[in-house]
Amino acid sequence: MAGNHPTTENRQKRHKVEGSQKHVISYIFSLVLTLIAFATVMAGEVNTTFTYILLLVMAGLQVYIQMAFWMHMKDRGHLYAIIGILSGVFVVFTMVIMAEYWTWW
Amino acid sequence: MSAHSHIDGQLPHEPEKATLEGRNKVLGFWLFLGGETVLFGTLFAAFLALRDQVGEGNPTANELFQLPIVAIATFILLTSSLTSVFAIQALHRNHVKPMIVWLIVTVALGAGFLGLEIYEFYHYVHEGHGFTTSAFSSSFYTLVGFHGAHVAFGVAWISILIAQTLRKGLNLVTAPKLYVAGLYWHFIDVVWVFIFTVVYLMGKVG
Repeated sequence: MAGNHPTTENRQKRHKVEGSQKHVISYIFSLVLTLIAFATVMAGEVNTTFTYILLLVMAGLQVYIQMAFWMHMKDRGHLYAIIGILSGVFVVFTMVIMAEYWTWW
Repeated sequence: MSAHSHIDGQLPHEPEKATLEGRNKVLGFWLFLGGETVLFGTLFAAFLALRDQVGEGNPTANELFQLPIVAIATFILLTSSLTSVFAIQALHRNHVKPMIVWLIVTVALGAGFLGLEIYEFYHYVHEGHGFTTSAFSSSFYTLVGFHGAHVAFGVAWISILIAQTLRKGLNLVTAPKLYVAGLYWHFIDVVWVFIFTVVYLMGKVG
């Protein structure tokens, strides 16, 4: 957690904070990713396997944008946050695979 | 941590992390979000395993779902995520009024999302898609309803925080609470990304 302590440098420019431009860009990116996902399904003429992969890639990218920029996971001092979420994700993947496997094979 | 309270009465840079209590709150909240990920994961696992089990004569995902309303709900929630980012930016600038305004916008958008979801569920029940209709309907309502309950909780939580901030102002005690509520709101949006992808769009594909 050492990374969370405000440094002297930080305190000197203490109210100089990030602009909102980067967040507006993240928002537009998320909108575009959502639009691609919905448009692909609504068009409805694309190969199913390809659509599945495309949808998951779009979702993955959007989640990355939200977590990295909006939840500040890219900022320093977020090692424990990353460990916390990744262990959750690990359990989730195990569980999804297990549930499918148990139910249908 | 008194070194962080400034003589001019201004808040330190990133007031949510200026105290040990604040830092612990943020860390604890991330671990909580890890647990929430697992909770939602179990519901996703159940839904994925049961989504084709509609039984005879009951509506399937493809017949039921209407993408335009889901697209509007997605747009509303994504926008509310952006407005909550603006609220936290205002917090970092120690601009209390703009922060309150952005939080109110966030709460309003969250309430709008909930309204749409209630309308959607009401419509589905009329189409013969009740909670106990099929394994598909049960797992659908449990997953999407659990997310909706999180939105409702977030709306109530942030509303209470707005009231508290209006009474007590922005300080080293209230700042971590607002920051953590912002994290919660983004997490809700992240879960929704998976819901609209896995439940609605994949349900439409087949």
